[in-house]
Amino acid sequence: MTMLGQYRARDSILHRLPAGAKLIGLVVVIVAVVVPPPTWWGLGAGAVVVIAGYLVGRLGLAELWRQILAVRWLIVFIVVVPLIFLPIPTVLATAARVVIVLLLAAIVTLTTRTTEILDAVERALRPLRRFGVNPDRIGLMLALTIRTVPVIAGLAGELRDAQRARTGRLSVKAFVVPLLVQSLRHADDTADALAARGVE
Amino acid sequence: MLSGQHDSARDSDIALTRVTVRHPTAAGEVTALDDISLETCAHNLAVIGLNGSGKSTFARLLNGLRTPTQGSVSVGGLDTVTDVRMLRRKVGFVFTNPDAQIVMPTVAEDLAFSLRGRGLSTGQIAERVAAVLAENGLAGHADLPAHDLSGGQKQMLAIQSVLVAEPSLIVADEPTTLLDARNARRIADLLLGLPQQCVIVTHDLELAARCDEALLFDNARLITQGNPRDVIDRYLSEIVARP
Repeated sequence: MTMLGQYRARDSILHRLPAGAKLIGLVVVIVAVVVPPPTWWGLGAGAVVVIAGYLVGRLGLAELWRQILAVRWLIVFIVVVPLIFLPIPTVLATAARVVIVLLLAAIVTLTTRTTEILDAVERALRPLRRFGVNPDRIGLMLALTIRTVPVIAGLAGELRDAQRARTGRLSVKAFVVPLLVQSLRHADDTADALAARGVE
Repeated sequence: MLSGQHDSARDSDIALTRVTVRHPTAAGEVTALDDISLETCAHNLAVIGLNGSGKSTFARLLNGLRTPTQGSVSVGGLDTVTDVRMLRRKVGFVFTNPDAQIVMPTVAEDLAFSLRGRGLSTGQIAERVAAVLAENGLAGHADLPAHDLSGGQKQMLAIQSVLVAEPSLIVADEPTTLLDARNARRIADLLLGLPQQCVIVTHDLELAARCDEALLFDNARLITQGNPRDVIDRYLSEIVARP
């Protein structure tokens, strides 16, 4: 299964950069891509930054293509649905901006261990402790979200196979309800596992 | 009660005093354990019985995942209700399904997660994680996504994530159920060879027979406690053979 932005161990300048610096850089570039009105020159520059990021991070263009494949259904969704209401150039420009942002974010997660991102997020949120925010809890929540995506995808795959084996076709109702039940059960099991590992 | 053969495990002796566990279900209140009293300091303790007999509830009592409705549970002198924070540092828990237990995206990160909040520096954690990976032939797997591991490797990671925190008691709830015979043997050998006291809930009677002592549960009650061979014989003749 191709998962968006899973860490790839390489020896590159991007891998060695502190997670906090990468996250701040990501926010700056995203603002530069998203805030100005879209132009083809601007989108072209964004694409160049993306390609440069994959090359400097020693991830390669094959990895870039894998990341595009991982979001292909999202691309289809953000192109097809707005086409009902908006002109084609506007839809394509918006979709291109979303894809550039996703691919930039993936550069950060591909070159940074999750624990480094969590540590950076926890450090950044520490001043908010006085307002009742628990940075450790938010960091753990992020880690669990990342970890849970492939688990839920695995459950969905098993359910799809089970349906095909029994009826030869897919039923949305018979897919969504058991997936929801199994996901909730997984959440319960994970809560038990966290408690067993001393997380309160 | 059998005497434990390893003095190092003494601080993990287990005592249940008139323990009853009830929980509500859609069909009404269910008694998961009914008036159980026992003491044990066996180094390796097998827990056997049919599905729904109370084995897993017993296991979950030992690190405070379940609390008794009545009675008290003590592990290594710690009460599992009032001393739960200290207890969870002493009692590691291995679940049947490692996917529920592995909470971090990569192998090394999940091992490191067990060491967070213990006053260790990042360097000390990395050193300890690297040592555990090397000891278990997983050195090349450090940055692999946990979900890409095989079932046997996932269960090995789940157990190592427990062991890296150096608990004095390991509780394993059907740790070999989802594994093939080869991986089940590897996990069983690992658990039975640990210096720590180990409680293993299992349907694998071969594994149960290798333990120092066994408990047999049926219908929420403790039927017998003693030599694994005798307990297994009674399980097969009185419970499994029951129409």
